[in-house]
Amino acid sequence: MIVKDVVCPFCGCLCDDVEVTVEDDRVVAVDNACTLGTSKFLGDHRLPGPIRRDGNGWKDISYDEAIRYAVDMLLDAERPLLYGWSSTHGEAQCVGVHMAELVRGVIDNTTSVCHGPSILAIQEVGHPGCTLGVVKNRADLIIYWGCNPIDAHPRHLSRYTRYADGFFLENAFRDRTVIVVDVRKTETANIADEFVQIRPGGDYAVLSALRAIVRGKTDTIPRSVSGVPREQLLRIARRCKEAKFGAFYFGQGITMTRGKYKNVRNAIELVDELNRHTKFTISAMRGHYNVYGSNEVNTWMTGYPFGIDFARGIAFYNPGETTAIDVLARRECDACLIVASDPAAHFPRPCVEHLAEIPVVQIDPYANATTAFCNVQIPVAVTGIDAAGTAYRMDGVPLRIRKVIESGYPSDEEILSRMYAMIQEVRSE
Amino acid sequence: MRVTLTVRPREKPFLPIEAETIVPRNFLDGTDTTVWRGNRELPLDAVFSVSVEGNAETAAEVEVVMRGDTALIKRVGEYMDAGRIVVEGDIGMHCGNFMSGGTIEIGGNADGWLGREMRGGSIICRGDAADYCASGYRGDKKGMTGGVVEVFGSVGDFAAEHLAGGTVIVHGSAGDMAGAEMHGGTLIIYGDCTRPCANMTGGTAFVHGTAYDMLPTFRRVGTIRREGRTFIQFTGDIANRGKGNLFVGDCRYMD
Repeated sequence: MIVKDVVCPFCGCLCDDVEVTVEDDRVVAVDNACTLGTSKFLGDHRLPGPIRRDGNGWKDISYDEAIRYAVDMLLDAERPLLYGWSSTHGEAQCVGVHMAELVRGVIDNTTSVCHGPSILAIQEVGHPGCTLGVVKNRADLIIYWGCNPIDAHPRHLSRYTRYADGFFLENAFRDRTVIVVDVRKTETANIADEFVQIRPGGDYAVLSALRAIVRGKTDTIPRSVSGVPREQLLRIARRCKEAKFGAFYFGQGITMTRGKYKNVRNAIELVDELNRHTKFTISAMRGHYNVYGSNEVNTWMTGYPFGIDFARGIAFYNPGETTAIDVLARRECDACLIVASDPAAHFPRPCVEHLAEIPVVQIDPYANATTAFCNVQIPVAVTGIDAAGTAYRMDGVPLRIRKVIESGYPSDEEILSRMYAMIQEVRSE
Repeated sequence: MRVTLTVRPREKPFLPIEAETIVPRNFLDGTDTTVWRGNRELPLDAVFSVSVEGNAETAAEVEVVMRGDTALIKRVGEYMDAGRIVVEGDIGMHCGNFMSGGTIEIGGNADGWLGREMRGGSIICRGDAADYCASGYRGDKKGMTGGVVEVFGSVGDFAAEHLAGGTVIVHGSAGDMAGAEMHGGTLIIYGDCTRPCANMTGGTAFVHGTAYDMLPTFRRVGTIRREGRTFIQFTGDIANRGKGNLFVGDCRYMD
């Protein structure tokens, strides 16, 4: 059976034109998806059932036992951390926020290690953004700054920018100008009309220089700014001002380098300035397929998008203090629930060392690097393959993620709801 | 009146304590107050051994002395309006948040957000202060609006971010982007720093040492003499309105 118009649950593009061939409740072929999405649909070697650490090995336990362990762990903790969330559906994220409030823990999602600084900047100066459809149909100038979509969001170029014809652009490849700004010549830079190479850590200075040029203050700009010649800066500023509609996409090349949210703020203020001359928008290249959703869910439920501390019974937010890396590196938390993430593969060593010292429960379909640090792992269905739910695309558009096979695994939402019900029962006693 | 708070040994020493109740005015009514350890609310004397000497009729007559392992005690002196707090060792985050009067003296180092959104009074830190010293809160347009923060060691990144009034003095060096977005007040750094006063719209900053990776959007005006030293005067940040004044002993650009 071929299932059409499937939404790919890999990156923030949420490509919704994927065709999946299913035989005997197994995905056997995938069309239209990129290699990243295809490998996720064809993923194998799932954990068959919940496991609990037993000395130097593991023993199989039931879902009931695993859930009871997780509930006891959270109820005993004085500062539990609930981390992950970006690779599961919004309905599960909702239950997670309710649960964090009830156990008075800290809940954080992967935003704090990717585009958290983008949100901090947006909180300071706003977000002149738009949907991907608007960019596809109107943008004649695209800037990719500190991101490499060919590797990280492979279909972004073919669905929305370089290779995508739009309503007002009949021949996108000819009519669109693509500028790539990065510290090295990436694959994306190879297909750009202009590549701007910046010295590492120099993004802020280049953005400031562009802002000054757009404001007409060119006399102060030196011959070279962070490795970029003055003539090139003047040319880029002119191209931006002359564009009919510009779209600025940025990645972790500016959010996770020196200056962090100040880089993003500077980029947003550059776009604000350009809007005095033409139409220009800016958006983040979000990574995990539902990381935007976790920000949405957290914000509508708590007022804050990530890094929320419920210790006092009310939501407190202060990235740098209430975010997972900080809570772990300072060895504050005394228990950790990880949902749909793999912090041991990405976090700094002191954080992982602390994970090894405290009780950890992981809810994830696959054994991963974090498995080595957890006490219990609960396998679940994969959203978009054997579980359905809601996810938000990188431009904030919510999409219903379909289920294409029946596997018998419970979804994240089912496991978390059972945990939440048990915690409610104990708390009400 | 002198209130001495000595931290008791803790079973989980890395759990932070939130103690915004440690403010001189609160001790006029006795020491029957609470603090938070993680998600548990505890009486003050469960975390500190408390001793009180003398009497006071106003908050200005109260001195609070903190001893022992105070490095993870957060929010001490929050909304303080009078009196004196002496921390003999290090202090945790958010010390002196929103304070409007009185004095906090820290013998050791201060963690992040020292004197956040301070309105008046003075904070003296004998050691180093971490990131966001004398800054604003996330998303706020105004940081510190009055008072004095003086750090005898060095400070981390984003010191005096969104500075809108008052004076911040750093005797050592500052990290990255000191005085970012500042639009009032005075920032003095006796050591070095990187990218000072990014996107500033007003206020005055002095860097006695070298400003590394100086931003290209500051317009060089000339030189001035101050305290027996020559400073290069800039106005900026011209990426926006550019009405701030930045004086640096020396500077280096990232070409």
